[in-house]
Amino acid sequence: MTVGWLPWVVAAWLFGIGLYGIVTSRHYVHLIGCLAVVQSATYVLLLSIGYRHGAGPPFFHPKPPGTPAVDAVVQVLVLTDIVVGATVTALLLALVQQLQRRRGVVDPQQAAPLR
Amino acid sequence: MLIDVLLLMLAVTGTGVALSRQPVRQVIALGANGLVLTLLFMALQAPDVAFAQIVVGTAAVPMLFLAVLASMKMDRRPEGRRE
Amino acid sequence: MSPRVRVALFGAAALAVLPALFHVLPHLPRFGDHPSPYGDAVTASAPVARQTQNIVTALNFDYRGFDTLGEEFILLCAVTGVTVLLRGARGEETSARPGQVDGRPVLPPSESVTLISRVLGVMVLVFGLSTSLHATSTPGGGFQGGVVIASGFLLVLLGEGYRGWRGVIRSEFMDGLEAFGAMLFAVCGFAGLCVGMPFMTNVLPLGTAGSVWAGGLMLVINAGVTCAVGGGFAVLFLEFLEETRVDPGAEG
Repeated sequence: MTVGWLPWVVAAWLFGIGLYGIVTSRHYVHLIGCLAVVQSATYVLLLSIGYRHGAGPPFFHPKPPGTPAVDAVVQVLVLTDIVVGATVTALLLALVQQLQRRRGVVDPQQAAPLR
Repeated sequence: MLIDVLLLMLAVTGTGVALSRQPVRQVIALGANGLVLTLLFMALQAPDVAFAQIVVGTAAVPMLFLAVLASMKMDRRPEGRRE
Repeated sequence: MSPRVRVALFGAAALAVLPALFHVLPHLPRFGDHPSPYGDAVTASAPVARQTQNIVTALNFDYRGFDTLGEEFILLCAVTGVTVLLRGARGEETSARPGQVDGRPVLPPSESVTLISRVLGVMVLVFGLSTSLHATSTPGGGFQGGVVIASGFLLVLLGEGYRGWRGVIRSEFMDGLEAFGAMLFAVCGFAGLCVGMPFMTNVLPLGTAGSVWAGGLMLVINAGVTCAVGGGFAVLFLEFLEETRVDPGAEG
């Protein structure tokens, strides 16, 4: 049987380790990868909230409507978030690449603030 | 039981992504993390979400990372390399 | 701020938050027992009220269609930002020569990779189209179909090489496709206003559950989202891969 508190602990752990990677990062692209880990922590949390033991997915093709199903609202939130999060990651990568072209800097701890 | 195993594997791959300091190695870790996330979403009875995650997490985002890393290594200016 | 101070600050913040976490964790509902009244209400009413078998699609494009419109425009803005950043710095023309890194060999394309990519690329594109069209009857929908089509474009890149790929996937067409998808979504919202009902009401006939044409306005919105997501990811791939070519203004 599934442990009752494991998803919340794993979501908190992923958030913490991703944040630690961001704080101690020495390369901007590595920082963006750690941001993806933090995003995945929120996906795990949301989908674990909606889960119900013994229920099926929210589709009623072979099964008649009325069979128990997991929560469909959190699936909608996570679904659009995954696709849109990928494009925002692409925007961040474009910013990092232009920063390296113009200033030659890839280390967040050596980047001077813009003046 | 399956969900427990997948959650523990996800914690391991997530730690692997955050602690891989070299970006090229981190891209492989990101692909593995995306795959474990897909399996976890399937176990949590969310096939739509797993659909989107497997394409985005294993194909699209690692490819974008590799393209940016490759273009950062090339120096396209004619006056030479800049540190 | 030196690295040690930064890590020390992170440790201090974690120590401040952790007691709260340990206090809250035993009081959270057990995994699998959380009541979800909104989800249950929608799951009970959607098969009859919207004639769909896929509750996630009904929520995405009908019950919570306004949120999806906002997400769609986030996608449009992010892709526009990437285009402005990369194409603005580089110029509009495309380059003929791949870039090289000193000391790395340039490998010729492999024949087995070309064969597999050519066979699978077309299959994946058709599969993506089918996933997106069957939004209301099987697991699938606009977002999933759009990203599967984008991965099909990547297989076409592996199969044809860069120049062949750019000849097939035209940049102007993908720009227009993405903008068309976003505009279609916004216009569908106004269709309800034209007949005196609230924004984004489902005004088309709903059909019967189980058929491909069920769902009314959801199918039009679904087509718009497929175009926007597929076109958006194609534009991203085009812009990022063009950055790995040699600058055409640098020679001669």
